[in-house]
Parts: sequence; C-alpha cells; structure tokens
Amino acid sequence: MLPFIMSKYPLFSVISGTQKICLIILNQPLDKNYLHILWRKALLKACADGAANHLYEVTAGCHDSFLPDYISGDFDSITAEVKAFYADKGSKLIETADQDLTDFTKCLAVMLEKIKDQQLQVDTIVTLGGLAGRIDQIMASVETLHHALNMTQLPVLVIQGTSLAYLLRPGSHRLAVNTGLEGDWCGLIPVGGPCQTVTTGLKWNLNNQILKFGTLVSTSNSFEPTAPGKRRNLVTVTTDQPLLWTMAIQKNGE
Amino acid sequence: MDKEWVPLDCLLPSGTQKICLIILNQPLDKNYLHILWRKALLKACADGAANHLYEVTAGCHDSFLPDYISGDFDSITAEVKAFYADKGSKLIETADQDLTDFTKCLAVMLEKIKDQQLQVDTIVTLGGLAGRIDQIMASVETLHHALNMTQLPVLVIQGTSLAYLLRPGSHRLAVNTGLEGDWCGLIPVGGPCQTVTTGLKWNLISNLWIISDLWSFSVPLALGTVQRTHLETCLSRKPYAVFGP
Repeated sequence: MLPFIMSKYPLFSVISGTQKICLIILNQPLDKNYLHILWRKALLKACADGAANHLYEVTAGCHDSFLPDYISGDFDSITAEVKAFYADKGSKLIETADQDLTDFTKCLAVMLEKIKDQQLQVDTIVTLGGLAGRIDQIMASVETLHHALNMTQLPVLVIQGTSLAYLLRPGSHRLAVNTGLEGDWCGLIPVGGPCQTVTTGLKWNLNNQILKFGTLVSTSNSFEPTAPGKRRNLVTVTTDQPLLWTMAIQKNGE
Repeated sequence: MDKEWVPLDCLLPSGTQKICLIILNQPLDKNYLHILWRKALLKACADGAANHLYEVTAGCHDSFLPDYISGDFDSITAEVKAFYADKGSKLIETADQDLTDFTKCLAVMLEKIKDQQLQVDTIVTLGGLAGRIDQIMASVETLHHALNMTQLPVLVIQGTSLAYLLRPGSHRLAVNTGLEGDWCGLIPVGGPCQTVTTGLKWNLISNLWIISDLWSFSVPLALGTVQRTHLETCLSRKPYAVFGP
C-alpha cells in the first residue's frame, strides 16, 4: 500500500502567488527576472559559494538591495572581493567543509536550520541555478533533491533557464499548471531507479507503467489539450519511488 | 582484463580511434566540430542540429555536409533543410514518438555502419548535455538504449563535459591525453550501482553496498563524466580502472 500523499501544489504560485519561500542561489549564471521576483518574496536568501559572484555581478548598481542572509560553502569559488563585500555588509559567511556533501546540500541544511531557529512559516524552498553547466554538477543537484526528501517535508524546487525540476516523493501529487507561466514541455525522470507511475493531465499519460532508464523515460511530454479559453486540468502523478518532475517555464515573449 | 580505453582520443588530433559523429540540437562548439568532422567516417544531424551546423560553418558550408539529417523535422528550418537536401545530404524522417531524435539518429547511424561495413571504434555525439533539463535526461536515456543497440561506445560531449555510460563489468579508462580537466564523476542514473574504482581522488571500494551520502549503488550501471579543458590535468598519470561486481 503506497503512502498516500496528497499535495495540491501550484508550482508557479512561487512566481506570481502566495507561497512563502526561501531562496538558495547556486553557482550559475543568474537570471535577473527570476532573481527580482523571488528575492522580493523570500524570507531568507542564501548563496552557495561562487553564487555570490553572480549575485554581485547581476545586482550592479543596487547591491545593497540584494544582500544575502548568508553565504555558505568551502569558499573556493567566491572571489576575495565579493566575499569581503558581503561580509562587510552583514551577510554571514558559513564555512561548510564536509567533502561528502555538495555546496547545495550544505546550503540547504543551513537554510533548514535557520528556518527552524527563526520559526519561520515557509511553503517552498526555491533554488536558482543547478540545471546547467558541468554535467556532474547538474546530477549533483538531483542528488541534493534526493537528500532533501530526508532533510525536510518542504518542497525544494530548482529553476534555471526555462527548466524547473522538482523531486516527487512516493505517493500522489496534484500539480496545478495554470499560472500562465508554464511552457509547453514536461517530463518525468526516474533518476533514482524504476518508478511505477500513474498520471493524468499529460499529453502522454502513464497507466501504471514502470518508468526506468533504458526502458521508458518520459521526456518531451506535454499537457493534455483543453478547449480554448478553458483552464488546464490538474496534472496528477502517483509514483512508488522518488520521481523527478521537470517542466518548462515560459520566458517573456515566448 | 579489459583493454585500456581513451575517452578523449576522439578530440586528440593524433588520436587513432575511428569515429562516427552525431550532432544534436544544441549550440555547436566550432573547435570540437572541426576536429571530429575531419575524423568521422559518417556525420549526421538530429533535426535542428542542422541549423547549428549551418550557422557555425558559414563561409565553408560545402566542407561540412552531413551524410544525413534525421528526425521529425519540427526544429530544422525550411531554408537549412532545403540547403542540405540540395547538396546531397539524405533527409531521413523518423516519426516514432516513443524514441528521442537522438536515439533514432543513432539507430540510423548503426544501420549505415552495418550496411557500409565500416570499422568504427566510437560514436561521438556533440550536444545533449545542456539546455532543457528533460532533454539532458533524454540524452542519458539514449545512452542506456545504446547499450542494447550496439557494442560500440557512445560518447556525449558538450561544453567542458563528457558523458559515457559504463556497461556492467570492468573498465580501464586512460585519462592522459592532456585534454582532461580536473573533475570527474560517477552517476548511477539508472539505479544503484555496486562500484569499485582506482585512480580517482576519492575511490569507491566495495564488497559493501555503499549507500553513501553522495551516491547510492547496487545495480550495475554507472555514468562516468570527465571534463575537457585547456588546463593541465591533475589526474593520475596511471590509467585507472572501474570494476563492477
């Protein structure tokens, strides 16, 4: 009997809506638009090591409005100048030396501790970066999402470019994809191992099939067509193992 | 023990591996293209890859005509399609919705290798490791399918990343070409892998089932990744080996 987790989770109300978020920025080129929207809403904001370099660069002229609560990592990527700048402005520098965990995982651990200490009511942890660059580091982001399942009940999203990634726990999920910010592709990736999966609301639904690398992986999927003017149906996904949900974010003008 | 294999031989001008080249729909690195094109017995584009090829070979299009372009042709521009068709590149429509453009392009490649009885050592793919996250994962999926489609190694290269899916068993990877960068990784994408390594900075040892914080292992598939940069390599000068159970 599957643990039955019903989560109505409007993915993009983080962008336009009501969710209370915390923000982690990873060491990747930073999208200014995403940054501005998310920063405004975030109760806590953190940079993982060299992410601070990107933040500094992208907030030229308004640095003081974008001071992270903390920067964590082993500080081998952040420049001395950027490190000194933010330290001087009050951002905490938290050295996390554990070689067995990635900067992302460690930054998340610190975030969760602060959420607990400050007794913050948080709905979602949003991460910018992590889905581009070195292929081993993209995979490491996915690894962090797996660890996150054991670290917190909070959903942890990763956003970069026009991609969003979100690891679904075993159980049932209801994803609302009606914000208007969703693009036209989505996918279900059984990264950790095979997943017995049922879906509704997708263009190509799964009917208790096993998603498994080498057999069947759902990529370049899309949403069930609806009549013009009608809202998209919910996407529902039931899985017996952690399953990576990926979807498109519509860029302005696309 | 297995023969030593050199993942980055294909990018060495003096490398000896005979290759075939697949180009995927991603920004195309001119340097990689030139080195690989020269060596490749067959060259193919998967759909919109042809747009990138056309763009990056402006002024010398005639020296870079793919043997074929395959896919459902929803990404290639009409102009580029007509250009290459006109120059003799075959257009091979592959409509199967259950397989990605990459997988289908690879299938066609293998068929041609067989038909033409070519001696090939490696299939090298440009692109596939950037862009949409579902399509990066789809590249990895193709590598899994490839294990059942051919015995030939299939590499994927983009930017400063290389990916290569190791079959169950033992592998000996020589990383001495001078093109290797300073990072590498083993990613159990299909599921857990019981793994033993030597020659890495942090080796995996196991008769144990290591469910580590980094990776969990128990089934024989692993993905190896190595960076290519212009910097000196920090890797051991001895070849290293990855052993399966």
